[in-house]
Amino acid sequence: MNEIYLQPLFGIFITLAAFQLSQIIGGKWKFVLFNPVLLSVVFIMCFLVLFKIDFEAYNVGGQYLGFLLGPTVVALGVLFYEKYDKIRENIIPFVSAVVIGGIMSVISVCTIAITLGASEPIIRSIAPKSVTTPIALEITKIIGGVPYISAGIVIAVGIFGNAFGPVILRALGIKNKNAIGAALGTAAHGIGTARALEEGKLPGAYAGLAMCINGLLTAIITPHIVNLVI
Amino acid sequence: MLKGVLYIFLFLVLGEVLVFLCNVPFAGNIVGMVVIFIALKLKLIKLNDVKPASDQFIKYMVLFFVPYGVGLMTFYDILKIHWLAIVVSTVVSTILTLYITGIILQKFGKDE
Repeated sequence: MNEIYLQPLFGIFITLAAFQLSQIIGGKWKFVLFNPVLLSVVFIMCFLVLFKIDFEAYNVGGQYLGFLLGPTVVALGVLFYEKYDKIRENIIPFVSAVVIGGIMSVISVCTIAITLGASEPIIRSIAPKSVTTPIALEITKIIGGVPYISAGIVIAVGIFGNAFGPVILRALGIKNKNAIGAALGTAAHGIGTARALEEGKLPGAYAGLAMCINGLLTAIITPHIVNLVI
Repeated sequence: MLKGVLYIFLFLVLGEVLVFLCNVPFAGNIVGMVVIFIALKLKLIKLNDVKPASDQFIKYMVLFFVPYGVGLMTFYDILKIHWLAIVVSTVVSTILTLYITGIILQKFGKDE
């Protein structure tokens, strides 16, 4: 009975419970910090720390929910097909926006980190911060960063984009929902895409496609940019 | 619904196999996403067969990220030492990326 938290049931149950609770709170009070992902993560972390349960024990069940991300990314392909005609009208400005945003992402994160005196392994690990985890890990391995650090940064950037992206964009005068979707997918990969889907199906399709294009772009350009700036 | 789930997993497997065979540094799920789009476009599979399942997956996308977010708790030690450079560079760069991408599409894209 003491080891109940070592069963998959524990991680799955606590994640579903925290998510449900977060959605209720987020639905009741419109406040930027009451974001479902952010709240769920904080709730679960507090619970684990409070009851001295290791992340590994939580992840026995948690990984099953995380696994479902794979098929969900494939499902985004179906969404593109549905929205293909609408996106095609905008294809040149859209691809330009993603490419320029994606290049600026790598250049800016590296130069700011250098200015602040970050060590070289850190810079190499945070360079692919805007792309989805599996791609970021491959890039980090190629350019000699630490995959473990990259994995953390990528998720943190995603949660930041998911929670604060739309608020920041609207404050900066970007009101067009498709532009918000493309920005979220480019800067904050899948977690940003999940937020874009809350803005609507078309912004979600823009975000998913932006994530795909930026993943490809970042894989190609990051080794060159990192060699130039370091 | 079950047929749709089967199709989606089939294309996920296909994506992973393609990445493995071509030995490219890319994500199998993103390759699967591109391949299912092509299959729909070429009418190899029907939208009505996959849509019930794909809509359900997409609806709960946020939930599937939660375990990865909880994983951040294992980064406490690294962040404790390097937090300033990491936090400032990633936050500023993320805002910049959001803005640049958003403003270009808003300015030059067509309204819906």
